[in-house]
Amino acid sequence: MWTQGSLRTQRLRAAYLFMLPGMAFFLIFYLYPLVQALWISLHEWSIMPGQDSRFVGAANYLRALRDPIFWISMRNTVLYTAVTVPGQMILAMLVALALHAIPRGRVLFRTLYYLPVITSWVVAALLFKFLFHSQSGLINYLLVDVLHLADRYIPWLQNPETALLAIMTLGIWKGIGWSMVIFLAALQDIPLELYEAAALDGAGRWGRFRYVTLPMMRPTVIFVLVMLVIGGFNVFLPVYLMTGGAPMHRTETLLTYMYNEAFNFLDFGYGAALSYMLAALIFLLSLFQIKLLRRPMEL
Amino acid sequence: MVANPKRRIVEIAVLYLLLGIGAVTTVLPLLYMVSTALKGPVYVLEIPPRFIPERATLANFIEAWNSNNFSLYFRNSAVVALSTTVISVLCSAMLAYAFARFEFPGKDLAFYAILFTLMIPSLTLIIPQFMLARALGLRNSLVGLVFVYVAMTIPLNTFLLRGFFEQLPRELEEAVWIDGGGYGTIFLRITLPLSAPALATAAIFTFLFAWEEFTWALTAIDVEAMRTLPVAIATFHGAHLTQWGLVFAASLIAIAPVIFLYVMLQRYFIVGLSAGALKG
Amino acid sequence: MSRLKASAFRIGIGWMLLALLAAACVPAATPTPGPSPTPVVVERVVTPTPTPPGPVTITFWHAYNPEETKVFNEQVLPAFHQKFPNIRVEAQQVPYDEFRRKLLTSIAGGTAPDVIRADIIWVPELAAMGALEALDVIMPDFNAYKEKVFPGPLSTNFWQGHYYGLPLDTNTRLLMWNKEMYAAAGIAEPPKTIDEFLKVCERIKALGKDKYCFADGGTYGWAVLPWIWSFGGDLTDPEMKTASGYVNGPDTVAAYEFLKGMLDKGYLHPGILGGGVDTAGGFARDEIANLLEGPWMPAIFAAQYPQKQIQWALMPAGKGGSISVVGGEDIVLFKQSRNKEAALEFIRFMLSPETQLMMARVGQVPVRTDVIQQAVQAQPYFALFFEQLKTARARLPHPNWPKIEDLLTSTGQAILRGEKGAKEALDELAPKIDALLKQQ
Repeated sequence: MWTQGSLRTQRLRAAYLFMLPGMAFFLIFYLYPLVQALWISLHEWSIMPGQDSRFVGAANYLRALRDPIFWISMRNTVLYTAVTVPGQMILAMLVALALHAIPRGRVLFRTLYYLPVITSWVVAALLFKFLFHSQSGLINYLLVDVLHLADRYIPWLQNPETALLAIMTLGIWKGIGWSMVIFLAALQDIPLELYEAAALDGAGRWGRFRYVTLPMMRPTVIFVLVMLVIGGFNVFLPVYLMTGGAPMHRTETLLTYMYNEAFNFLDFGYGAALSYMLAALIFLLSLFQIKLLRRPMEL
Repeated sequence: MVANPKRRIVEIAVLYLLLGIGAVTTVLPLLYMVSTALKGPVYVLEIPPRFIPERATLANFIEAWNSNNFSLYFRNSAVVALSTTVISVLCSAMLAYAFARFEFPGKDLAFYAILFTLMIPSLTLIIPQFMLARALGLRNSLVGLVFVYVAMTIPLNTFLLRGFFEQLPRELEEAVWIDGGGYGTIFLRITLPLSAPALATAAIFTFLFAWEEFTWALTAIDVEAMRTLPVAIATFHGAHLTQWGLVFAASLIAIAPVIFLYVMLQRYFIVGLSAGALKG
Repeated sequence: MSRLKASAFRIGIGWMLLALLAAACVPAATPTPGPSPTPVVVERVVTPTPTPPGPVTITFWHAYNPEETKVFNEQVLPAFHQKFPNIRVEAQQVPYDEFRRKLLTSIAGGTAPDVIRADIIWVPELAAMGALEALDVIMPDFNAYKEKVFPGPLSTNFWQGHYYGLPLDTNTRLLMWNKEMYAAAGIAEPPKTIDEFLKVCERIKALGKDKYCFADGGTYGWAVLPWIWSFGGDLTDPEMKTASGYVNGPDTVAAYEFLKGMLDKGYLHPGILGGGVDTAGGFARDEIANLLEGPWMPAIFAAQYPQKQIQWALMPAGKGGSISVVGGEDIVLFKQSRNKEAALEFIRFMLSPETQLMMARVGQVPVRTDVIQQAVQAQPYFALFFEQLKTARARLPHPNWPKIEDLLTSTGQAILRGEKGAKEALDELAPKIDALLKQQ
């Protein structure tokens, strides 16, 4: 049986066999839910066994557009991304450049800077909640009693603005190491001759950076940018664990709002619609970034 | 480049200083967490906060370990993380091999589909995944966690491994063909062994992901017997809101294995990540 | 065999093994969906399945605090297991903040527990959802228990003609005052009226910038309702048909303005705006002079702050009297339960005089009328709680209460943060609550 058919057919069979398990998982637990989420979003979905769901078409989506909390959470998500992504990337680049320039100790520093990345989000969020505690957090102590930058303890997690700041700090702290490691590796890949050539042409430090380093790192930077933006829009745990969206839903992000609507109020239809809108947004954004910033390169 | 050696020394010194400050700032919160875990309850919220606890005590650690079924949660997390890692890496490797070495109709479509999912926040699927788990009877079971985790990690692992596989020299494979071996032989005897670093990287990241995953574990599991560590920590915090020392002791117990693995295998963590990113 | 056949064969075998492995691990049946919840069918005669011979396991979720959990696990559960060796209770402590969400998720997921100790405010919602069994239908001796418990707490289980649970414990908020801080401010007695309360606050504030007269955790119902009611205001009319004219009536507005004034003058701890305030710790450290607290506090203080004494007084009276908010928990049974008979035994046990008195030792005020005397003898401070309970009122027994409370909390925050005036904010709130009241 197996030996029948052309070699090509045999190859095809082999190929499909190799693909089978991976694709099976992927299709069942990823792709199918993805499609089903769309279906759910078009209904006023009832999860109680035995109760029917009502088809409502685009009603959930329209509701989102009219929902002030939706816009607040959208704003917060965008804000979080807009601040943490450049924050992480710039700081990571600086550290990577510095590490690239020093003769020894690179491994030690790399290990230290990467520690936050492997600390779990749950632990990190609790830690930062403690650090930003209004009465006895380390941050307030440093700001007020040590550095005298503020005159009273700031109730960080009570006000939306300061709460978001705390959350963003967590995001940046946690992510720098990841980008830094990638940038460092990319830096180490740049052939020295290019630098020498540039120096011969009279380029100073900044010139070398601008005309050699950056262009050579372009694909890496784009990769990191796309991943970080996706991660930024994906923000859930820091907000969920530090403020839960409070006060007054002002620190909600799209995903925390979605989760809340779905599992606190059992409004699955609305939650699914929210997720889809976010997914569509991120997808378009990523495509946009890639097309715009990337020279045609093999994926 | 630099003509003046003295200036260079000063520059390097400054760099070290700045890097040192940066490193300290980065690690400071973690150290503070350790310090807090070693403090008794009265000292936790004192002002000014001390780094070296006045009276260091292991009481928090003991209580954290005893007061809850930590060993149970550990076991659950370990089982889930290990299973996920093995299954996911295996499936991804096979999938990546298919993409790297075969041509077949629908190849591009499949690959782009997988890539596309990388852009979608995994949380968006939690509602239908929840319903799927319910329908399949996978709620309140570790298997339910593993299946979803595997599905969630396959895209990135496949992407990473495919890039690596494509770079492998074909001569070795051709030698196997000539000797009478088949795809399976090639895969098992040539591809996998040669890809050890990439596989290690994929394995480490998958393990890390499964070990730390919170949201799906929170949503899919109600019973305490199946709880995993991240959820246990958050629940612990909810039950002991102001007992930070205790909460941090529990957290440290939870992340200790990861830190340990990281220190031991950090080469793989970092090198593999960069390699994957650069080839992508 | 050809090499292709061999490799394909090996691949195939490998996959079959894995598939078998996976299949072996998947647990058996999909949970059967419950019957569609028709609105209360009175004639339904339910014959509970008789307890099967082998040991039966029921799951019980609760949000007891650590001290209560200790007594429950070390005294109540062993006693139950001894009395009913065939029934095993798997008790799970779920932190209050997560309880509702976790419960809803499990109901949605078809894996609800058998019995829970539910906050009284969740019962109408759960009943309306069709998740609970009507105890007065399924429990043959329901009336016997109905007669033994306080009518107030019992009423929290009532929804559209049926009782969906039995009360388990009740509580209310009393004024917990800090004798040391009062003494330092030269005050001997706790305030009886809200005006006296304000005077106390003035003197407490004089003690220091970081000394607070009062603190609370937020602007949710449990926190603001005692003030609203004591001021003479309310959220809705008695039939829960309309909120306009009530939640934005002059007395309710006055209550919010009072709270805002307290905050502005520094009498009220800013933790009420969110971000967490350690009320018990603050009280113990003599930073906070008054709290509105419940009967669980003595046990907590005995464990965490043994040096600090607590004093109790009635809620300061306003135009509406001294009205506090009634809290408590009911014990309810889920339709999804597969061991209802065993669950009912557990419910009966939790309502037995012995169990009620056991839990009373850690501050769980019993609901049985026949154990009051003994309870007060054992915990003298219960007497004042019973006094306050006489006039204490319940939060809205409406299935939409969670959503209403969400709005109420946000409005309270807006008022306290000075974003809107009290009247303005409450005027905006009223129609929203009206709409939620109409929905069932």
